[in-house]
Amino acid sequence: MKGIEEQIRATSSQLLAAGDVQLVIGYGAGSDNSKTMPVFIKRAEDVGKLVFNPLCVSNLANYLLHWNNFEGKIAIVVKGCDSRSIIRLLQDKQIEREKIVVLGVNCPGQLKSGQAEAKIPVEAVLSEATVDNGGIKLQTSGGLITFSLEEGLLEKCRQCESSRPVVSDYLFGEKGFEADKAALQFNDVAALEGAPLEEKSRYWDKYFERCLRCYACRNSCPACSCRECVFDMVEPDWVAKTVNLSDNTAFHMIRAFHVAGRCTDCGECERVCPAEIPLRILNRKIIKDIKELFGAPMPGSDLEALPALSFYAVNDPESQN
Amino acid sequence: MQRIGVFICWCGSNIGGVVDVPAVAREAAKFHGVVYSAEYKYMCSEPGQEMIVSAIKEHRLTGVVVASCSPALHEITFRKNIARAGLNPYMLEMANIREQCSWVHQHEPEKATKKAIDLVRRAVAKAGKLEPLFESTIPVTKKALIIGGGIAGIQAALDIADAGNEVVIIEREPTIGGKMVLLDKTFPTLDCSACISTPKMVSAAQHPNIKIYTYAEVEEVKGYIGNFSVVVKQKARSVNSKCTGCGTCWAKCPTKNIPNEFDLGMSMRKAIYIPFPQAVPNRPVIDRERCRQFVKGKCGVCKKFCPTDAIDYEQGDEFVTENVGAILVATGYDLIDWAKIYGEYGYGKYPDVITGLHFERMVNASGPTGGKIVRPSDGEQPKTVVFVKCVGSRDEAKAREYCSRACCMYTAKHAHQVLEKIPGSQVVIFYIDVRCAGKAYEEFYLKTLHEGAIYTRGRVSKIYPEGNRLIVKGADTLLGRPVEVVADMVVLATAMIPAEGSADVARTVGFTVDKDGFFQEAHPKLRPVETNTGGVFLAGACQGPKDIPDTVAQASGAAAKIIGLLSHSEIAGEPTIARVNEAMCSGCLACREICPYRAIEPKEIVERLPGKQVTRVVASVNSGLCQGCGACTVACRPGALNLKGFTNEQLLSEVDALCL
Repeated sequence: MKGIEEQIRATSSQLLAAGDVQLVIGYGAGSDNSKTMPVFIKRAEDVGKLVFNPLCVSNLANYLLHWNNFEGKIAIVVKGCDSRSIIRLLQDKQIEREKIVVLGVNCPGQLKSGQAEAKIPVEAVLSEATVDNGGIKLQTSGGLITFSLEEGLLEKCRQCESSRPVVSDYLFGEKGFEADKAALQFNDVAALEGAPLEEKSRYWDKYFERCLRCYACRNSCPACSCRECVFDMVEPDWVAKTVNLSDNTAFHMIRAFHVAGRCTDCGECERVCPAEIPLRILNRKIIKDIKELFGAPMPGSDLEALPALSFYAVNDPESQN
Repeated sequence: MQRIGVFICWCGSNIGGVVDVPAVAREAAKFHGVVYSAEYKYMCSEPGQEMIVSAIKEHRLTGVVVASCSPALHEITFRKNIARAGLNPYMLEMANIREQCSWVHQHEPEKATKKAIDLVRRAVAKAGKLEPLFESTIPVTKKALIIGGGIAGIQAALDIADAGNEVVIIEREPTIGGKMVLLDKTFPTLDCSACISTPKMVSAAQHPNIKIYTYAEVEEVKGYIGNFSVVVKQKARSVNSKCTGCGTCWAKCPTKNIPNEFDLGMSMRKAIYIPFPQAVPNRPVIDRERCRQFVKGKCGVCKKFCPTDAIDYEQGDEFVTENVGAILVATGYDLIDWAKIYGEYGYGKYPDVITGLHFERMVNASGPTGGKIVRPSDGEQPKTVVFVKCVGSRDEAKAREYCSRACCMYTAKHAHQVLEKIPGSQVVIFYIDVRCAGKAYEEFYLKTLHEGAIYTRGRVSKIYPEGNRLIVKGADTLLGRPVEVVADMVVLATAMIPAEGSADVARTVGFTVDKDGFFQEAHPKLRPVETNTGGVFLAGACQGPKDIPDTVAQASGAAAKIIGLLSHSEIAGEPTIARVNEAMCSGCLACREICPYRAIEPKEIVERLPGKQVTRVVASVNSGLCQGCGACTVACRPGALNLKGFTNEQLLSEVDALCL
């Protein structure tokens, strides 16, 4: 993956030096060696801070919302999954296409954060990484660290619909990770759907009970573009602010429906949740239902396909009645 | 602090006979914000209304709750009522304790009383959140546009123009007149259709207030009630306004033998033609797909002979913009293409199986046979004529479920005409039911029956040729046995369907169609000539199958509505429309995608941020176009859109009052 990293640095340097963009949003070395963090590069000489490796798990698209009053053009590094958020932000008119340069990466797959923390020593500096059928191999100053795909690969990578970005101005990396067809069938959701009502209720109660209402899921979500959040509103007081099972459940249900048809399954909400609530299951249930009911593609995979419930068509079979 | 008055109506025994009204009034007095609570036998009566007016003044009420019937019935009554006392008319909330309570819970008076109390509690909660609303004013352009120049469009145009308004008629054919001029005699009076409709066509053409575009279509409609801007596409006629209609061109035109659409292909026309001698305007059109000048690039005969230099081969389509205050859609009907559906009747292969409209042209004195009823195959006079009704109508399995309404009567008329014109002829009519609901209709049917028409109840299962005659096989369901008739000619009464292209008209103008593709009226009983789009009206068979009397009646009805609208120089805009909270709007414009009335437009606003100013886009509601349907308010994720009179705060307070 060194190659991808070098290409990102070279292209960013060029773009900044030529004045084609005034900001690059990408991944940089993290607070410890098992993590990366977002970096915001404004000068060509700083591009050495940009990295790309299997630790680049986060979706940077959300930062475009933070920078939406930036006067210049912005280049942003996106993986296949993240690129859907770019389409969604364009559809929601939150960003302008001509102000964004998309640095796409054919993503080879990403490492589970827990595994990375457990196995990568704090002092081990990463020099090269590979992901293939043989597993994830990290060459570090402390030696070679390997993970089998079973133990190391992120769940969302396993279910990846397109490791190739759906939108990009530059494309780096030869070939991305190809998920097993069977893994694309929403088996995780189907397993829970099939369970008896009481069991499902117990399943979610267990998780919602421990929600801290920290709103990290909301804050990291690229679909979240309201200027005043319904969960912060006092008048009308749609959702109680108290932390208990009943109000937490209401919060999570409203959040899931609020992003229904727009959630691209980037998985940021689940990744940032300190209580480890499996929020992707909730989002994926709705994605599955919309797919089955309306034949709609994965949100964000097609610029022309608006969210299933967000437009009015005169020739809609249901509008004929 | 709100000071709410609650007024509970007995509606005689309608409510009072079930609900314990005094108990509801006593409970209501205890609700938060209520300073006065009363009950009365008939709140809508003069003393009832006076009671409300004096209570508002005496108790300085800021909001009023009336618990009575449906707001659909008396909301406007009570709005006017409280306005008389000086309150804003929108400071009224109604609780429906009749339709939604006493009428449906007649046998459970105690529970009904409890529910009435709940409904009043809900209304009081909302009343506490009401805010005064004000009607906006919209200017009105005193001009109407009529799409379709058939009898409905002509009648409405004359009515509207006679009232002193300008009218524009758009007709896509080269002449106005529509289907009615094709017909021979009309039931039940047997007056000549052309004789009564062509004078109307001429009146329309000569009316100083009426402007007619023929061979034209509506390209684009923008705007809203009172202020439409319509782009009319005037198709190239290849004949300019210098034409006097002398007829030299079509007499000289060498391209003959083109089936004449007006006679349903039973006569021939030239490449430059007028559809029929009484066409309005009396100005020919060149059929560019068949004219030699256009197909082969040489001929020029018409141009050479034209005494007024009216032929213009270079003429292109023109686009004209008309600004109007109201639009009437009267696009009429077509007949279903039975040949594609009814294989058992021969898929249109047998020339002697014709439709009722072919029969009309044939029996018409000015038609292709000069009024003689003859077999298309050999020109012989038929002795036995079979009529099959409900071909495509009342046939859920193969075609349309609805009844086409006019066929029973015109088939009776056709039967009468066969028996009258062909001595010794025999007429057999296959029918499902005979429907003659109309003034003098039943009498007409009975007359035909007495003249000797044989009515056989049952469907026809098969028609096939044998020799030069046709075998019609069917069933007589009254006698319960199969029937076979050897016929010389078969006439099918085919279903009326919306005119070709009517879906495009609906889309261009911006209103809805029903399940069969007919134009949807705003209310089937109470608003039959209006669409759900303000300022757009309907007349004639485009709204549903109709005969001429109903079409003309509806056209005059729609004209009255339009005259009413155009009689104002300004109209009041409904205040219960959507409102954008610009601070909360994130500019995604999901509302614009979902708005069926195209009432949402993007708007740029300037916002101050620390150290700088930024412009950003937000949604804005066009108060003329918004119909207050509320679709945008649900589509709006940030909740920046609210329906005035039904705001999120108001609805939530109602839910809380009912559920907490």
